[in-house]
Amino acid sequence: MDKVEHFNNMLVRLEELLYHELSGCAAWKTELVGIDFIQSKKIKGDNEDEVISHCIEEIIAGGLVKKMRYSIGGKGILLNLKIKGCIHLPKEIRLKRDGIKPYLCPIANMILDQLIEKLNYETTYLAKLDIHGASGECRVKCAIYETPDKIGVVSDWTEEER
Amino acid sequence: MGDILDVIKTRKSIRRYKADPIPDESLDKILEAARWAPTGENYQPWRLIVITSPETKNKIGNLAKLGSGSRMTAWYCLGEMQRRFEEIEDPLKREEVLRFMYSGEVSEFAKQAPVIIAVIGTLMEGSVDVPYDLSACIENMLLEAHSLGLGACWVHGPVASTRDAAKFKKILKIPTGMGEYKVIAYVALGWPAEARRHPRPKKPLEEIVYWEEFGRKERK
Repeated sequence: MDKVEHFNNMLVRLEELLYHELSGCAAWKTELVGIDFIQSKKIKGDNEDEVISHCIEEIIAGGLVKKMRYSIGGKGILLNLKIKGCIHLPKEIRLKRDGIKPYLCPIANMILDQLIEKLNYETTYLAKLDIHGASGECRVKCAIYETPDKIGVVSDWTEEER
Repeated sequence: MGDILDVIKTRKSIRRYKADPIPDESLDKILEAARWAPTGENYQPWRLIVITSPETKNKIGNLAKLGSGSRMTAWYCLGEMQRRFEEIEDPLKREEVLRFMYSGEVSEFAKQAPVIIAVIGTLMEGSVDVPYDLSACIENMLLEAHSLGLGACWVHGPVASTRDAAKFKKILKIPTGMGEYKVIAYVALGWPAEARRHPRPKKPLEEIVYWEEFGRKERK
């Protein structure tokens, strides 16, 4: 067992435990997990694109994921992330296999954290985490709210999945 | 000793309040009820912050709106909220209810409550059952408030996420260390300005009770 596998196994145990204690609410409690990595980098940017792109560069350079793409839709509040070759993918696969819907993406947490820290976004929310074990890809949908008046700006995100 | 089942069964979550103040004697009784909740090892981790300042209630109401609204907007956009409320047949009414939810207005009512009580628990060394103790403490307050004719609502929304809980702590000057105090919820209190005409349906006992072992429905 290598160090990454050991670390993922520990995360699985902790996430199982937290889900067992809090059920679906566990996801809301784990938004800071992973942010220390990105906070140790000097992420710069004056807008969403610059901050997110810089985060992705650092995440890839750090060897945490192999490939990562993003897009923004949903009238500006939907951040789509496609992540391939994430070092945490084995933990998501194991959780899913054990009957717990994966709920904690440290990589998404990093980007959401920097939108809040660097661009002063009001709040964010990791809304959906789809794991595709066979292709080694995760698709993450996050809500990003620059200002309070963005709350309640709705559209059909399922259309944007195509 | 009186049977309180009627008190339990007629309690509803009340989110609209008259502006009339709550008498100190009533508030004291509600706080006293909190004090007598069951608690592991008699640890009594609860600490209660009674808030009447309009400025503070506005801040908490805004935080609650933001917390609930940020999640529910996403759930709506993913189609999940619509499934939750599909039993509302009138499409206009359903959309209005959904808008009330995803806008976060559903959780904003702390602003109108004459009193809100923040329920926090000390996590100091020796504590073992803090979330459970705090939940029992809240239920005691809800039942006492209802027995006094007051309306109340248990609100988790503004402290549900870690970042929002930290904001909540800052508003009330609660120490923010993760090992110091847990913020579990607040209770909004006031004289009811609404009557819940249609009780939310409750699952029958046959559905939720097993006898002797998991899954066995036959009573001996």
